[in-house]
Amino acid sequence: MEITFAVLLWAVRIAFLVLLYLFLIRVFTSLQRSLATESVVSARPTGLAHLVVQRTVRGAPRVGDRLPLRAVNALGRDAGNDIVINDEAASAKHALVEFAEGEWWVEDAGSTNGTIVNGEVVRSRERLHYGDELAIGRVALRLEQ
Amino acid sequence: MMRAEAAMPIGRARFTELSLLVWVATFAITGFVAVLATETASFSPTAVVVPAVFLLLMLALHVFLVAIRFRGDQILMPLAAGLTAIGLILVQRLASDLLLQQLSWSIIAAGAFAATILVPRDLTALARFKWTWAILGLLLLMAPLLPVIGREVNGARIWVKIGPGSIEPWEAVKILLVIFFAAYLEEYREILSHSQRRIGPFPVPPVPYLVPIVAMWGIAMLVMVFEKDMGATVLFFGIFLAMLFLATGEAFYAIIGVGLLILGGLVAYQVFGHVQVRVDTWLRPFDEDLRFNQGFQLVQGLYALANGGLLGAGLGNGMPDRIPVVWSDFVFDAFAEEAGLAGALALLALYLVFLYRGMQIALRAPTPFLQLLAAGLSFIVALQTLVIVGGNLRLIPLTGITLPFVAYGGSSLVTNWMLVGILMRVSQVSSRMRGGGPW
Repeated sequence: MEITFAVLLWAVRIAFLVLLYLFLIRVFTSLQRSLATESVVSARPTGLAHLVVQRTVRGAPRVGDRLPLRAVNALGRDAGNDIVINDEAASAKHALVEFAEGEWWVEDAGSTNGTIVNGEVVRSRERLHYGDELAIGRVALRLEQ
Repeated sequence: MMRAEAAMPIGRARFTELSLLVWVATFAITGFVAVLATETASFSPTAVVVPAVFLLLMLALHVFLVAIRFRGDQILMPLAAGLTAIGLILVQRLASDLLLQQLSWSIIAAGAFAATILVPRDLTALARFKWTWAILGLLLLMAPLLPVIGREVNGARIWVKIGPGSIEPWEAVKILLVIFFAAYLEEYREILSHSQRRIGPFPVPPVPYLVPIVAMWGIAMLVMVFEKDMGATVLFFGIFLAMLFLATGEAFYAIIGVGLLILGGLVAYQVFGHVQVRVDTWLRPFDEDLRFNQGFQLVQGLYALANGGLLGAGLGNGMPDRIPVVWSDFVFDAFAEEAGLAGALALLALYLVFLYRGMQIALRAPTPFLQLLAAGLSFIVALQTLVIVGGNLRLIPLTGITLPFVAYGGSSLVTNWMLVGILMRVSQVSSRMRGGGPW
């Protein structure tokens, strides 16, 4: 009885070491796999950030909807835009929202009524922070992650 | 992203994380059973209670990450969980009366981790408040020097008493300092790295841009010297140098920094009694005047290491309690005695993997701020491990710094888990931008 306890206890102690190493090996293989599955080239990644509809005139998308952004996004009334804003107050090519150097930027594309960020008219290319409100025509969108 | 979702119907399932947590569960339970069975000379089902509570907590964190559709690193959380589990086993072994306290701290740490994952909406926005972090960090750093709340424990005045317990504010300061350095260096690294003037092979640094950062560091150093905590001083200096080097790529800064460190060490040795004692016990711990005096702790630690051998005395079977305050300063020696060289190497490998993963995350991060942030944070864990393990092994003078996740201590556990949270947030930003499979 005494001996079996001692043997069992040793088995548990050795098992601890073995399991510790097995965990380590699993961590190593997971590390390698995480590198292997990552795609090197991805075509037009979306979901870098979202524009959340704050104010709109009619129809879908409704207030609160999240529009996924790409690296370069054209906004305007024209159907060729990435985000189409079908409001009479929006120009055909209205604004450009772009991700570069790890930051978001907004640029007015020569619109008639201007692009407005947090109540101020965008003059040139300006930084867009998360939480900023972008107004185009009567539509307002907020940049979120 | 669309394609990845089509291939994987569950979308945000985190299989890697879950399977790694299962492995953590197996060795955590085995470790607890070994320790308690040795103590009570019988196997009893109560041994699994504490590890079960802890593992349920980790499982809850996993479910939380799946539920919020967290997309990002799946390895750091199980790694931290494994290290924390080893820490709990060692607290049970070395100071079982502190076990409940440490378990409660791990619950708080898990909460802090979840908050870090959930709360900051935009990680990059942290950079905009860099001076806030700097000032907050300095205030926290100076708090232990205040008369009423400050506490001196074992010669180091680094504690603040709050309610029934006390915390070590510098643990939080290290994260704040890394955020500040990352934000500042992102802004000025161009200027700092492309110096126009050179004297021979040495670039002349643009002094005005270095002033704020050196001043920050200087104040931190000064406070730490007054608080008599060598470990933290070395850690702050190390982070500062590493991040300056990472941001600028100028080896020049590192060389000057190491020179300053040696100079500072020599001065400190002459001026401060406690530094002198530390260095003397490091150089000649077996001398008669030190062996049973200031050198006692270190010498007992070395004997423990020798006693451990290759496979160790077995969990619960060693004599680590012969080392004074073993549960906070000398956990590494205690683990090395009972789990042997094999266990000690595995433990060090876990830290190595942590650093490796952290650096991977840093390399993938999309902006310089996030890169520096991830690198700096993983470097904290690596440097802290190096400093304390080196001290325990008599490779360098011993300084009272905690072994991340493993050593007993609440402030350290909570901040280290928050650190993991921030690293995972950085990986989330990158994986969102890169698309592809689950990370």
